[in-house]
Amino acid sequence: MTREGKLKAAYYFFGTVVALLGFATTMMADWQHIYAKGPANTGHAKLTCVECHVESPGTVRQQLQAKAHFWLGMRNTDVEFGHAKVGNQQCDACHSRDQDSHPVHRFLEPRFKEARAELGVQLCVSCHREHIGVRATLPETACSFCHNDLKLKADPIDVPHHVLIEVNNWASCLGCHDYHNNHRRTVQKSVKQAYSPSVIKAYMDGGPSPYGTEKKYPTKEGK
Amino acid sequence: MAQIPNVKHSKSILWAGIFLVVGIYLFAQRPTPLVDSESAGRVIPVEKMFRIVAAENNAARELYTKNIVGYGMKVGLGFSEKWREADVAAGPLPALFLREAATSIQKSRIPLGLFLGSDFPIARSNNFGSAQAERFKMMRASSKPQFFYSPDIKLQVAMFADLAVAPGCVTCHNEHPKSPKVDWKLGDIMGATTWSYPKDKVTLEEMVQIISAYRGGVVDAYEAYLAKAAKFSKPPEVGDRWPEDGYFLPSKDVFVKEFERRASGNTISLILQANSLLKVPD
Ligand code: HEC
Ligand code: HEC
Ligand code: HEC
Ligand code: HEC
Ligand code: HEC
Ligand code: HEC
Repeated sequence: MTREGKLKAAYYFFGTVVALLGFATTMMADWQHIYAKGPANTGHAKLTCVECHVESPGTVRQQLQAKAHFWLGMRNTDVEFGHAKVGNQQCDACHSRDQDSHPVHRFLEPRFKEARAELGVQLCVSCHREHIGVRATLPETACSFCHNDLKLKADPIDVPHHVLIEVNNWASCLGCHDYHNNHRRTVQKSVKQAYSPSVIKAYMDGGPSPYGTEKKYPTKEGK
Repeated sequence: MAQIPNVKHSKSILWAGIFLVVGIYLFAQRPTPLVDSESAGRVIPVEKMFRIVAAENNAARELYTKNIVGYGMKVGLGFSEKWREADVAAGPLPALFLREAATSIQKSRIPLGLFLGSDFPIARSNNFGSAQAERFKMMRASSKPQFFYSPDIKLQVAMFADLAVAPGCVTCHNEHPKSPKVDWKLGDIMGATTWSYPKDKVTLEEMVQIISAYRGGVVDAYEAYLAKAAKFSKPPEVGDRWPEDGYFLPSKDVFVKEFERRASGNTISLILQANSLLKVPD
């Protein structure tokens, strides 16, 4: 064998070993956690992967065929490969609430275009990105996309809403309001009693809840 | 290793081989194809679908507003924005009945969106933003429904006028402390329902699923109201009778039957029309 040939043989051997190792990993009972992209989000450490990552319908071969048909115009709908994208449906199986002050589907109305583009308000995983070990992520000015013209008749709080908005104090909002309004609590009426932005930040990052632990619609443990 | 005489040539042979194998794998010796939800049978353009569900919605909205809210208020039944709160003895306002139905449709997995808005809304959160406000103006001018595509969400959208069909619509809005307009009249376009759906045509089967999801939404909304009414300190009697007859509420079955009686004839003839116009050649 020439030097080039030897090199090639070595590459083939190496490639086969890597492929076999990869295959073996997927076959191992605990493959899931080796595979995961990052730490589970708040409350999700005990969930199995398949609660969120569901298989697309069909075998790989059927999916390939359907894709080819779609590209060739022989089929009207495209299909997904392997695992389907994690959507609201998966979250809803455990976190369904009859009442949500900001239900994702409400924001599919055309007029929320800007909020969709900037915040992805129509999808749970925009604010609850998984595998980054936190509870939620949200820019501080998020509320401004939809509430910048807010003015309450007979405003019950000591610094009225329109004043908070005039001075761009968007960091104050979550200090009195929980986004989904799913905690059983009374909303504060004084800005002094509002939770500070640092307490909110810690909560978003996975710390204890300042809104209390009692929920109107508790989480279901499994599907 | 021996030198390969013609690299270019052998490459094309290789590619031809790959295509052959893939071709056999996917087409000749093919697996059972995955069901294509759009290939079978007859299709209905999405505009027709929207017209059909919007007509269903008009029937449900008029029934609830006139026969439950309108007569109900006269016999002492309450209706409020805060009806969900335990200490408020009230049922959902017509707009919230619609939102309740829309939420239930969402849970049915049928991707049909339904919203109610206005350019003079009681609730600021129902105000049309720029995209819909423009369409709404066109609708006011032409009194025709509007159909368009919303590219960022890849949804087909329709807007239908929401008319003051019952005296209750007018009096309640005109008297509401938060209403920015106090001279609504019977027959006015008070706002619009906005509908959305991801495809530009639906099969007959999908059409049936959409109607049943919409009707399921109406049933769920009415059941939520009955569940709340059962908790009033003086619960109304539930059965065959309507608020028109006194302090009563129709049972779920009685309400649904009346709704279906009003909606079905129209829906069936619209489907038949849509379907005979658009037979897909075999
Ligand atoms: C609560 C739902 C949930 C659970 C449970 C979950 N994931 Fe995920 N996973 C997601 C979401 C959402 C994304 C997309 C995140 C993103 O794009 O930032 C994702 C992305 C991934 C990705 C990156 C590939 C991609 O599609 O972006 C891998 C790999 C992954 N998950 C593996 C796992 C494994 C392994 C487990 C089990 C230990 C697991 N996940 C459990 C929700 C979940
Ligand atoms: C199999 C059930 C299940 C699924 C699916 C699921 N979760 Fe959870 N989730 C839980 C449980 C259990 C907890 C911990 C209990 C709790 O905090 O309510 C939790 C906690 C959370 C929390 C923190 C709650 C808190 O009060 O601290 C958030 C946020 C969350 N989930 C969002 C999501 C999102 C977004 C998805 C979809 C990508 C999702 N979950 C999918 C079961 C699930
Ligand atoms: C625009 C951002 C955003 C979107 C979209 C969003 N959330 Fe949240 N979510 C938040 C914020 C902010 C918090 C923290 C405040 C709070 O507790 O309500 C939160 C808290 C939560 C909690 C913990 C408190 C509770 O309500 O039980 C859960 C669970 C949750 N979200 C689930 C979901 C699910 C499921 C979806 C999709 C149906 C979703 N979220 C969509 C921003 C979002
Ligand atoms: C994408 C648009 C959007 C964003 C972003 C948004 N909201 Fe809202 N919000 C709404 C709509 C629409 C309603 C009306 C809901 C209803 O009438 O049921 C609402 C209602 C509310 C309510 C009244 C809830 C109730 O039950 O009556 C509060 C409080 C609120 N939002 C606070 C916030 C805060 C705080 C933020 C930022 C963390 C925020 N919102 C971000 C659209 C938005
Ligand atoms: C000091 C506490 C406090 C702060 C800070 C605060 N709110 Fe409120 N907010 C309230 C109270 C109290 C109400 C009225 C009670 C209720 O209906 O929940 C209210 C009501 C609302 C409503 C419902 C309005 C309606 O017409 O029913 C919205 C929307 C809202 N707030 C958004 C915001 C936004 C956005 C911010 C940040 C700029 C904010 N709030 C900051 C306490 C607060
Ligand atoms: C008993 C009082 C009442 C009656 C009757 C009533 N409405 Fe309303 N309507 C309201 C209230 C309050 C809202 C705001 C609900 C919310 O918080 O979203 C509303 C909302 C609406 C909206 C959305 C825009 C807005 O104003 O917020 C439209 C459009 C509308 N109603 C039209 C009608 C029509 C048409 C009828 C008759 C079929 C009707 N309403 C009957 C009280 C009423």
